[in-house]
Amino acid sequence: MENLRPGMFDEDRMERSKRISWLDMDRIATTKCLVVGAGALGNEVIKDLVLSGFCHIELVDMDHVVRSNLNRCVFFREGDAERKTMKATIVASRAMELDPAATIISSVARIETYDVERFRSFDLVLGCLDNIAARLHVNSHAYSAQKPYIDGGTNGFRGKVQVVVPPNTPCLQCAMNRTHYRVMQKRFSCTGTDVSYFEPKTPAEITTTSVVAAIQVREALKLASGKPDKCIRNLMFYDGLNGTSDELEVEIDMDCPMHKKNP
Amino acid sequence: MGVRVIIKNAETGANVAMDLEPSNSVQEIIDSIAMYWEKDAGAYVIRKGKKLLKGEQMIGDLGFAENDEIELIPDPEGGI
Repeated sequence: MENLRPGMFDEDRMERSKRISWLDMDRIATTKCLVVGAGALGNEVIKDLVLSGFCHIELVDMDHVVRSNLNRCVFFREGDAERKTMKATIVASRAMELDPAATIISSVARIETYDVERFRSFDLVLGCLDNIAARLHVNSHAYSAQKPYIDGGTNGFRGKVQVVVPPNTPCLQCAMNRTHYRVMQKRFSCTGTDVSYFEPKTPAEITTTSVVAAIQVREALKLASGKPDKCIRNLMFYDGLNGTSDELEVEIDMDCPMHKKNP
Repeated sequence: MGVRVIIKNAETGANVAMDLEPSNSVQEIIDSIAMYWEKDAGAYVIRKGKKLLKGEQMIGDLGFAENDEIELIPDPEGGI
């Protein structure tokens, strides 16, 4: 006969999650996640991952905290902006306070330094980026490593999430057109090196960021729980101003370099 | 044979008609309409119903009927 004790159902921090039958908490706890970007989306994604029971995370970002980050980044403080603390370092450190069982490795680096072999060491990749060039790097490397990639993007009250599960789904590049490449080319000179130019700041606020990050992590939960069939198959657009979301069909583009390589 | 489509601006809700030939591409629509609405030099996509149209697709291959509606959507690329 099983012995019960008053309050015993409140002793396990994941007890309420375990009540959701399709969540595989053991697999979630052992899934290795790479999170790219420790800005607004990165803060929210890391918070949701840790609270959802993911325990093995690597967070990569090359930037430091500035004061204008503070209206949408839950792990940043005024002092971090004053000290110009590196984003990845501070997010990893503060997020581990949420759950001592979680290990978050911070990597102060450009994602372009991660090769395909490095991507192979993870089970899932979550993109929390602010530019197309870095997205394409993550897209191609995750695809080549055959690892699922969950990309999020925001612009004011608008957001999007795309889940790429190689080799079954379209990738980010399949959904791009010339306007994306024009934006990307502005960052580079004809020699391929960074150039200085004025780039208008993208509007950003926390409610859209929270929604998009939550959807990204929910998709990660499905993948880690062995439910890829339940994932967003195409491209989900969120319009916070009108309170709508839509999943748009994207076809695999056989001219896309990813699909040419992996037909 | 040409076809007239209605293009909706997802950001403002504004509509405009555009006359298209079968040899026009989706990319040409995006470029023209973004210029007409004086859009920022950002990334945009076009949807027809539940389908995201590819830039290189030709109008003649897309089965447009007169006054079909398509929508220009800014592609959110921020996150920092």
